[in-house]
Amino acid sequence: MFLAAVGLFFALPQLAMARFAFQNVPVVHLDLSTLGTGWSVARLGEALAEPGLWEAARTSAVLATLAVLLNLVLLLPLAVLAEVRAPWLRPVLTGVTLLPWVVPPIALVVGVAATFRPLAPWFLSSPLSLVPFYALWAMPFTYRALDAGLRAVGARTLVEAARSLGASWPTTFRRVVAPATSASVVAACGLTAALVLGEFAFASLLLKDTLPTYLVVYQRSAPQAGMALALAVMVLTALALGGVVHLLRRRGLGVTTSGI
Amino acid sequence: MTTLVPPSTGPATAGPVEGLPSSAGSGRAAAAGRSGRARTRRRPDPVALATVPFLAFVAVFLLWPTVAVVAGAVTDEAGVLDATTLVRAVSGPYRSVFTNSLVLAGSTAVVGGVLGLALALAVRGLRRPAWLRPAVDAWCSVASQLGGVPLAFAFVALLGTQGVLTKALAALGLDLMGSGFSLSSLTGLAVVYLYFQVPLMFLVAAPAVAGLRESWSEAATLMGAGRLRYWWSVAAPVLAPSTLGGMLLLFVNAFSAYATAYVLDSSGQLVPLQIRFVLQGNVITGEQDLGYALVTWTLVVLLAGLALMAALQRRAARWARA
Repeated sequence: MFLAAVGLFFALPQLAMARFAFQNVPVVHLDLSTLGTGWSVARLGEALAEPGLWEAARTSAVLATLAVLLNLVLLLPLAVLAEVRAPWLRPVLTGVTLLPWVVPPIALVVGVAATFRPLAPWFLSSPLSLVPFYALWAMPFTYRALDAGLRAVGARTLVEAARSLGASWPTTFRRVVAPATSASVVAACGLTAALVLGEFAFASLLLKDTLPTYLVVYQRSAPQAGMALALAVMVLTALALGGVVHLLRRRGLGVTTSGI
Repeated sequence: MTTLVPPSTGPATAGPVEGLPSSAGSGRAAAAGRSGRARTRRRPDPVALATVPFLAFVAVFLLWPTVAVVAGAVTDEAGVLDATTLVRAVSGPYRSVFTNSLVLAGSTAVVGGVLGLALALAVRGLRRPAWLRPAVDAWCSVASQLGGVPLAFAFVALLGTQGVLTKALAALGLDLMGSGFSLSSLTGLAVVYLYFQVPLMFLVAAPAVAGLRESWSEAATLMGAGRLRYWWSVAAPVLAPSTLGGMLLLFVNAFSAYATAYVLDSSGQLVPLQIRFVLQGNVITGEQDLGYALVTWTLVVLLAGLALMAALQRRAARWARA
């Protein structure tokens, strides 16, 4: 009974959204009697035909890719070292990667405007300036996923074995560490993608056209098509996250998407 | 899994004795430093090589802007310590903004926390539809991250003035709008926030709930305790730290949420929205400092919440290890 109520609460918004988006009926007449009439995906096609959408989507995709890469470059060596050589690094990393929880986007954007704008205006004028900040917010997820992946395979033993068998560091990295962390890396990619698809405060206040800010603007001019697009983005985000969860479960990694 | 780790370095021993990990850690660090120095003079220590860029990155893009804002909030134009803007940011019209945010975050944390815990407890005993538990698990992982612009649109479609549910209820004779409900009110926002708060609480509470051993309940029964006594004396104390910690996490999460509130609440009577107003209108001199002060108070609230949460989680971890 309770479960049914909860399920209803979680399903209804999307169903309502689907009606708004895909039923070719004036909004005023969207009641029970018109439940079966006028379904069409024409609105989604309309939204997808906008060139502005693809530009925003491309920006978001580039941001997500670069944020993932930056994160991996910074965190993968550290996660490996913390597991293999320097366990004292682990609490430090856990603590530092929690910092993005303390400083949410809406707070950091004020500081960024105050510090970077007078010193390096060229930096903030590029949409790529969002990359380091998105990498920052993806850190809690990325680090925990990497750490769980390394622990699950016993990376410490594996690396020591490889080293004592005479493998060089690059070989060890390529043949031992990389395969062991591949699931975590893919999971981190999915989480970062979901995060970039959803982050609104920073992009909006720095006047960048990413997918979420485009959604808000577009929905104002085309309410129905905007709904359709928002639903599509939501499904896409859910799929990315669902893939992550599935992957983590299959590998038996005990990390959640909550990032703590 | 942790039993395979040698006790001298593993995290298993790091908890119970507070003084131990630091001494063990520095011992290892010294050992690593010695071997590093003995082996290579030209090659730098790989730990330093990896740590320095990471810390520099965090310092430049996170700490520097944050410290600049806090410094701007506690000093006046001349750079002298001055708390007037800090006081102004929580008085007059801004006091009600903080009250609104605290009430919204607090109520969704408590309600979401209770519902999330109830969901975790309800799913715990279920075996029969084998797909149900993994499905709830996966869906909660997804939904806890689904906040933002699309979610706000979804609730407009459901509960807005022309929403599907609004009209369905009107057909049944229930006038939702007439009763004063609106998505831009605190109640409306709270309903929307619960959509991601309940799943987040489930994620936090599920491990603690799974840690309730069957044998504890059996032992309690053998010693003559009733169901109520078992829940009150055994289960509740075990669940309490992670439940409270989870609620604090929800509080922090709701307090800093921005996108959902931005779409639904045009009047901007919440702290994150007010920060935006001040930031965009910062041509007026002095207003910029007000924005800094608002951010500083936000950081204080979030930091307090997270510090408390960390302390509670350390308590909760004790039971998970036992």
